[in-house]
Amino acid sequence: MQAEDDMSISVNGQSQVPPGFRFHPTEEELLQYYLRKKVAYEKIDLDVIQDVDLNKLEPWDIQEKCKIGSTPQNDWYFFSHKDKKYPTGTRTNRATAAGFWKATGRDKVIYSNSLRIGMRKTLVFYKGRAPHGQKSDWIMHEYRLDDNSNTTAHEPENVCHGIGEAALQEEGWVVCRIFKKKNHHKNIDSPLLLTSSCSIVTAESARGGRLRLGSNSDEEGTLEKILEYMGRATCMEETEAIFPTATNGTSSPYICDRYMKLPSLESPKSSATTTDAPVGQMNMNAVISTTGHHGLYSFTTYQSSETTGLSDWAALDRLVASQLNGQNETTKQLSSCFGDQDLQLHQQLHRSLSSSSTFNQVNNTRNGDNYDNECELWSFARSSADPLSHMPNVPV
Amino acid sequence: MGDNNINVKLPPGFRFYPTDEELVVHFLHRKAALLPCHPDVIPDLDLYPYDPWDLAGKAMVEGNKWYFYSRRTQSRITSNGYWKPLGVDEPIFSSSSGQKVGMKKCLVFYVGDQPSEGAKTNWIMQEYRLSDNGSSSTRSSKKRHSRNDYSKWVVCRVYERNCDNDDDDDGTELSCLDEVFLSLDDLDEISLPN
Repeated sequence: MQAEDDMSISVNGQSQVPPGFRFHPTEEELLQYYLRKKVAYEKIDLDVIQDVDLNKLEPWDIQEKCKIGSTPQNDWYFFSHKDKKYPTGTRTNRATAAGFWKATGRDKVIYSNSLRIGMRKTLVFYKGRAPHGQKSDWIMHEYRLDDNSNTTAHEPENVCHGIGEAALQEEGWVVCRIFKKKNHHKNIDSPLLLTSSCSIVTAESARGGRLRLGSNSDEEGTLEKILEYMGRATCMEETEAIFPTATNGTSSPYICDRYMKLPSLESPKSSATTTDAPVGQMNMNAVISTTGHHGLYSFTTYQSSETTGLSDWAALDRLVASQLNGQNETTKQLSSCFGDQDLQLHQQLHRSLSSSSTFNQVNNTRNGDNYDNECELWSFARSSADPLSHMPNVPV
Repeated sequence: MGDNNINVKLPPGFRFYPTDEELVVHFLHRKAALLPCHPDVIPDLDLYPYDPWDLAGKAMVEGNKWYFYSRRTQSRITSNGYWKPLGVDEPIFSSSSGQKVGMKKCLVFYVGDQPSEGAKTNWIMQEYRLSDNGSSSTRSSKKRHSRNDYSKWVVCRVYERNCDNDDDDDGTELSCLDEVFLSLDDLDEISLPN
């Protein structure tokens, strides 16, 4: 029973990791110690992080290759050299024989002593071939040094890095961590039978997100990040027909107040507004109401039909709630979230708005209700094949 | 964190995150068997009288968790409170043999006097002891004798529970926002009816 062998564990035949110790570096250690040494061709003690050709190894192979000793591991680390630059931009395909890595979300800025030192990209492994890959539980965090960190450290943080940076980040050494997603949140991957995508774009996030880098408005920003992402997801599919329904008569995309003051839609009136929608068009309205103080937000969703989507929104609701409870890291995440794509989003927004302006429908019932010049809700309702779109709103 | 009194020279990024099994099989078993522990990182606090916040400087710390050896006892009363068992003990199994090697008891720290006066805190203790039901008839009397000695010892992990789970962001876990993005990716994939 006694495990004498655990006394000493060799790492690459060189050195030993005593029992109880795990390689569990901080992001700062990964970037500042390991990746910096790698880039500078310096020798790294113990050689714990190996080089991996991401196109040749599947996640489960990496797991085998990057073992440290024989102790159980939950995550595996390696260096990878990105030397292929794809002109199409940010969505690089990192394909293997069995699948591909696909980026998700937004890159997160990594700080060290409040100085920006690098970026983290999150990727998911899909089995199969795009676009029909099947999402797996394998996640990769890809860390790259911020090449501009030395020069931009003292510049204002709202400097636009734009396209040049996107091209730059496709080259050079990165250090990666892969792990398998734990399925704590059971309902996240609930059946996604939504036939219509829904989005709210707060104009402020499109306009002012970049300016808010480093600010402390965590909770607010978290929601905006989510909402904005949703907006982006919709807007990126520009070939699809988009029917924006301007909920306010004005077209000003700007919002003066820090806080969104969106109307509460629990009144029966709001369901009446939904039924005003044209046949075949489905409105899904997500309403964020802020309770004002202590950063307490309730994220309430309303949905006009399709109860299948309900669980997704409920899951999102729970996520937002849980995210708001533990905000420590979010500040950092937020700083990265209003990064490169804000401008792009804004442009897309305008494009899609103007291109389909003939479909604009001014919803007079809402006008003058809780809407004022402080805020504006843009609800993009998408044409849906489902004719049953006139059911009253159901509060979640 | 990480720069504790460890007489081990490891490169940056290595931390003392023992598994339950390691605590029992390696550290506790060797301690009880009077074998030298390598690395000898966990101090022996005997029947400690310390409040959890007094462990700093006495127990071994990694991150926000403290480790120390102690003796097995029925009541753990400190100067300002007491530890109260929580739930049922959890068996620890050997990953190689599947055998039960130890038990893990969870305790919560209460400030105040026993039995019911105390106020519950967020301090948690996980107390590991060697399995005491392994004494089947196959064991020799000699071994059974030493087992009695073994049962004296426990190894404890103490930490203050946060409202969120005690994993930091550097851990192998996705943030909630990442989870949201992941599920939104699925929305991306869905082909819409023209």
